[in-house]
Amino acid sequence: MSTAKTIPVILALLFGVHGRIVNAQTTELRFVTWRSEAPEVWNRGIADFERQNPGVKVISEVGPQSSTQLHDLLTQKLKNRDPRLDVFVMDVIWPAEFASAGWTLPLDRYFTASEQQQFLAAPIAANRYRGPIFGVPLFIDAGLLYYRKDLLDKYHVAPPRTWAELVDASRKILAAANDPQLVGYSGQFKQYEGLVCNMMEFILGNGGELWDEGAMVSGLEQPATRAAVRFVRDRIIGEISHRGVLAYEEPESLALFTEGRAIFHRNWPYAWAVANDPKKSKIAGKVGMTPLPGFSPGKGAAALGGWQIGVSRYSTKPDLAWRFATFMTGAAMQKRIALATGRAPTRRALYDDSEIEKKIPQLKSLFETFKQAAPRPVTPVYVPLSNIMQRYFSSVLALRNTDIDTRAAFAARDMNRVLDLLRDRQAP
Amino acid sequence: MKSSQRAALWFLLPSFCFVALFSIYPIVESLRLSFYRKILTLPWLGQRMVGWENYTDLATDPVARDALVTTLLFIGVTIPLELLFGTGIALVLNQVFRGRGLLRAVVLIPWAVPTVVASQMWRFIFNDRYGLANFMLFGADTSSYLAPLADPYLALAAIMIAEVWKTTPFAALILLAGLQSIPDELYEAASMDGASPSQKFRHVTLPLLKPALLLALLFRTVDSLRVFDLVYVMTQGGPADATNVLQFYGYKKTFAEGMIGYGSAIAVTVFLLSLALALIYLRGFKTSRWEGARP
Repeated sequence: MSTAKTIPVILALLFGVHGRIVNAQTTELRFVTWRSEAPEVWNRGIADFERQNPGVKVISEVGPQSSTQLHDLLTQKLKNRDPRLDVFVMDVIWPAEFASAGWTLPLDRYFTASEQQQFLAAPIAANRYRGPIFGVPLFIDAGLLYYRKDLLDKYHVAPPRTWAELVDASRKILAAANDPQLVGYSGQFKQYEGLVCNMMEFILGNGGELWDEGAMVSGLEQPATRAAVRFVRDRIIGEISHRGVLAYEEPESLALFTEGRAIFHRNWPYAWAVANDPKKSKIAGKVGMTPLPGFSPGKGAAALGGWQIGVSRYSTKPDLAWRFATFMTGAAMQKRIALATGRAPTRRALYDDSEIEKKIPQLKSLFETFKQAAPRPVTPVYVPLSNIMQRYFSSVLALRNTDIDTRAAFAARDMNRVLDLLRDRQAP
Repeated sequence: MKSSQRAALWFLLPSFCFVALFSIYPIVESLRLSFYRKILTLPWLGQRMVGWENYTDLATDPVARDALVTTLLFIGVTIPLELLFGTGIALVLNQVFRGRGLLRAVVLIPWAVPTVVASQMWRFIFNDRYGLANFMLFGADTSSYLAPLADPYLALAAIMIAEVWKTTPFAALILLAGLQSIPDELYEAASMDGASPSQKFRHVTLPLLKPALLLALLFRTVDSLRVFDLVYVMTQGGPADATNVLQFYGYKKTFAEGMIGYGSAIAVTVFLLSLALALIYLRGFKTSRWEGARP
């Protein structure tokens, strides 16, 4: 073989230029998602979709469970305009960012106003950015307070309506139970996105805010915000929790609760099914659930969470991707997911579904909480703002004797600098 | 040019293309991007040339300064330990005893385990409820269990321990190669002169091991300046930013926040830092070889 003929062969071997046999009859739809806690429900749903759409093959690419890590995977693909990504799950805080970057397809053409009416208002609002809508809500999350019903009954304590009551109740039970293993409160205080949700609930519950969306300035220096942060450090972490919570995400904090080692626990709705599953929990049947307390009764705030389905702007089959998105968020699929996992549906009508009511009776009582759940501010620079807040919250909670006021001022200055980037939009 | 030379050029071309594509291009591109302001999530800002702005911002960024201190602390603590333990292991493995081959293979296991897997393992070891570290320290007395990854100081220490465990075998491997290149005659001569084992170690082994030590130092420093996966898996930079090393900070800026220009400036800074350290070491390398050649 002459040199001229060898080179292409070597190059082909090196760079893997080889033909792929693709059946012309099948259309592939690529779906990036996380591993569900009930994969069989998802697989069955996808199989049903394929049956209804002959010739379509849905290829699920299962990404990391952690929202932060899935975000990095997805943005990497979208940034590179990967045509091998059609449809994907989105955390509630992403639509603004993805829409602003031009990564997601505006769905108004498909997702009509009357159809949007079928959904709860909060997740619909979270999927809008400057008018158009960019995702279909799949399920909704809101922060909830779980408690040990048996312990509260035993020591004659009522479920707390304020954070101060929660601390007092914990101290009373901890003193009486005299169990060195037991702690009062378990939440998510690791330096990650969940920390922002947890802290936001305390802050909004005290009338403070993360930032002022009108004036576009940080709210960390507001007296009510600082007071809430101080309360978490001095009373929640300092008095009734243990320092381990500073490294906890949802699974670790839930494990502490299901091992019977925490009196109160903050988590999303999925924790109910886990805590009451005798195979996974030592406290099955001894669990109560209530809206999160506030700093005065009835003024509690719950962070809005949840997941959506979005369509990539670089998909070559947006119509099919949309059909898949509507199928997965349709009433039948949401009902299956709710029954299998306890995840709360985003379609209003399902809150009156008798089968769901029988299986998850507490869901209906949570309807109000879901309706009022507080979204994290909608902005394309959410991630940098969140990183600044995570750094601030984690610093003041983990380092004893830090000065909250000084740290808040630093963090506020950093946040304002990021928020200033958005002002440029108005400039010519 | 002879035809065989032309053929040789053709054969070199693929590897040149490979290096150009995967090494030269990214470095040049990072350098270029570090002079721009480019934020993925704010496309209307465009890609604007800002000169040294990213670098001046970086110089005054307290988070970056803390990250640099954390990184240097990390290097300063882990590398001496790795070299110390590595030398010890290499000295043992250099002896002739039964099962040496097996032991040499076993020692390499930490180095062979993928870092993400090892990090996950160490995360479990340092768990506050069922971690092996707590069990070894406190046994069944769970009430005194520590939460290492929740404490800013202990979390950094935990990552350092994992790093030392993971990379000591690599140092040991290089040092073992160094030990094996020391001729036996020198030890025999030293014995004839009545040198004690410790004298032999100080006057024969150590001077002749110096090139290998410097090589291990060079590789390990450049490598641990870029520590990332341990932090990514074990702590995500927390708590209180205590484990936020430079490379992780750059990753978060670039990939999570979409600040391409600023993230590139961090990457370029890390690159220049390791280049500078490498050059300093290489100088030391030259003089040591010269010293080693002296009678």
